[in-house]
Amino acid sequence: MKKYKIILGLSMMFTFLTGMQAQRAAFLRFNEVLVINRDNFMDDYGQKHPWVEIYNSSPGTVNIGGCYLTTDMNNPKMYPVPKGDVLTKIRPYQHVLFWADNNPSRGTFHVNFTLYAEKSNFLALFDSDGRTLIDSITVPTGQRADVSYGLVNDGWDQKRLAEEIKLNSLYKGGDKLWVYYDGQIPPGMTKSREVTPSSNNVILDTNEKVENFKENDSNGIGMTITAMGVVFIALIILYLVFKQVGKTAVSLSRQRAMKASGLSKEQAKEHASESGEIYAVIAMAIYEATESVHDDENTVLTIKNVARNYSPWSSKIYSLRELPKK
Amino acid sequence: MNFLSFLIENLETFLTYTGFANVTPGHIVMILVGLFFIYLAIAHEFEPMLLIPIGFGILIGNIPFKDAGLQLGIYEEGSVLNILYQGVTQGWYPPLIFLGIGAMTDFSALISNPKLMLIGAAAQFGIFGAYILAMWMDFEPNQAAAIGIIGGADGPTAIFLSSKLAPNLMGAIAISAYSYMALVPVIQPPLMRLFTTKKERVIRMKSPRAVSQTEKIIFPIAGLLLTCFLVPSGLPLLGMLFFGNLLKESGVTRRLAETARGPLIDTITIVLGITVGASTQATQFLTWDSTKIFGLGALSFIMATAAGVVFVKFFNLFLKEGNKINPLIGNAGVSAVPDSARISQIIGLEYDPTNYLLMHAMGPNVAGVIGSAVAAGILLGFLS
Repeated sequence: MKKYKIILGLSMMFTFLTGMQAQRAAFLRFNEVLVINRDNFMDDYGQKHPWVEIYNSSPGTVNIGGCYLTTDMNNPKMYPVPKGDVLTKIRPYQHVLFWADNNPSRGTFHVNFTLYAEKSNFLALFDSDGRTLIDSITVPTGQRADVSYGLVNDGWDQKRLAEEIKLNSLYKGGDKLWVYYDGQIPPGMTKSREVTPSSNNVILDTNEKVENFKENDSNGIGMTITAMGVVFIALIILYLVFKQVGKTAVSLSRQRAMKASGLSKEQAKEHASESGEIYAVIAMAIYEATESVHDDENTVLTIKNVARNYSPWSSKIYSLRELPKK
Repeated sequence: MNFLSFLIENLETFLTYTGFANVTPGHIVMILVGLFFIYLAIAHEFEPMLLIPIGFGILIGNIPFKDAGLQLGIYEEGSVLNILYQGVTQGWYPPLIFLGIGAMTDFSALISNPKLMLIGAAAQFGIFGAYILAMWMDFEPNQAAAIGIIGGADGPTAIFLSSKLAPNLMGAIAISAYSYMALVPVIQPPLMRLFTTKKERVIRMKSPRAVSQTEKIIFPIAGLLLTCFLVPSGLPLLGMLFFGNLLKESGVTRRLAETARGPLIDTITIVLGITVGASTQATQFLTWDSTKIFGLGALSFIMATAAGVVFVKFFNLFLKEGNKINPLIGNAGVSAVPDSARISQIIGLEYDPTNYLLMHAMGPNVAGVIGSAVAAGILLGFLS
């Protein structure tokens, strides 16, 4: 029985750990795609090809090595991203760029397919098992030269976009998840959308939260009221919970006292809410009685010589080094 | 002759590397500050565990040297001090300190009289009062928040928050927080006397009831779940605090608890103190901003103490006779465990030699630790 429990425990741990690995790759997102690269980013060979940017939307490093890129759902293992290349490790909230040049012999980041200007392009990323779909995107037809098609904000999905629109009244990115990065300033925004290979789609040069506080709460009163409110709420919740826990504990203690010594309800109530000081005094008295105060001393005073048998093991002669004699 | 000139040339080069050749008035000022900290710790026993490492760290950090890529200074990547300083800049020393604090704290006083938690909340006004003042003095909101946390009177929390929100001000904030924590016996008593009447100072509080082990075990678990669900950004500090406390109270992890409250916290205190002290290199530290931070730090301590004491007086308006709280324990809401609770005891005994407030003051004292960690979490969530 014990063996079964251990095996069950280990298999649960294994499932959990493999699940964690899969979960980490699940944070990868197609982030930006450029189909017609006429006068844009060049590869290490000085050539211009379509490119696909993948973003790690997690706070931990994710290794894309072993995952699969494809343009065909029926062939999920079209391009296996080579394992063992340190560059396939994507740091938190960072990117990798793949060149869709149909020339994988040029390196890890050159895939064995290309993208077509005249039709829509489907792209999918599969996990290392070749079955679990991590992310997919269909880049619509009619792409313009040197205009990329990317997420409105790095790594966002439809849910995150909806949350931002709902919660953040200052959000001006529109309701589209994928937008064109064509160098134009969208309505309501102050910055143009530029093509950003291997860089954030939205380049942050200020801390938006700090700017909001500076603009809307320059004297700090709002922060003070909100934060003090939250501190009080946190400790009031703790207070209420422990008030109840305390009541229950006192009640249980009372019941135990009634059961054990046949006390009346009132006597038991008094007993249950006794202070710790009383117990401390009782404990101290018991300690004093048993440990500190005692009539029989351990040492014996006597005028008799203490006889000790001679043993060379305890003789000083053998344990001290003799000085050299002249 | 050539050999002689060679020797002289080498000696001259060597002299340019010595501290004497590179010393500036700033270094001298900082060395004097370090010596003053050491003096306070030894002669007056003001927080010696903190002030000795920090004071000596200030001396280490302000030995002048020529910047010749020898990897000596704390700000030079790869130097020994820089490696040790990572625990401060990356913010992993403070949670480990909190682990130790959790493993050595007895929350019984708080559990037996949970309304004392509210005093710990009220004393956090020092943080936000200083935040308002810092905003008024043209600090950025994130900097103002990092400065305000000095009022939480909790060194690890101050270091943790400033390393996240305003790393460039961390040295001044940490030194300021620890200095004022050491000066709690000087700062708090006059304020406690100012805001209380003689009658209030002799209020006797009910002895706390004995708390069962089950309650003590429930406290860290419920405390973690309730506070961190509300303020997840306080997780590093609160998580470790409550974890350490569970190690202590569970009764089955005695060795772990002893390590956390003994060798671990001592080791981290040593490296934290010495590196925070060494981070105060005169060139980085002696600025007008540092002076303002010291001023704001003092005000935040004053406001926190006053808020705690005044809140108790206000709270007493709603409590029945016999259940009233002695306002002299209000100061303990500012954390600074256990010094501020000790001050409550000392001042209380001055007015009634048989009125022992220490155990009562420990309630708001540990609630202050939770409160300041929650406040830090809120500021981090709002501004990071």
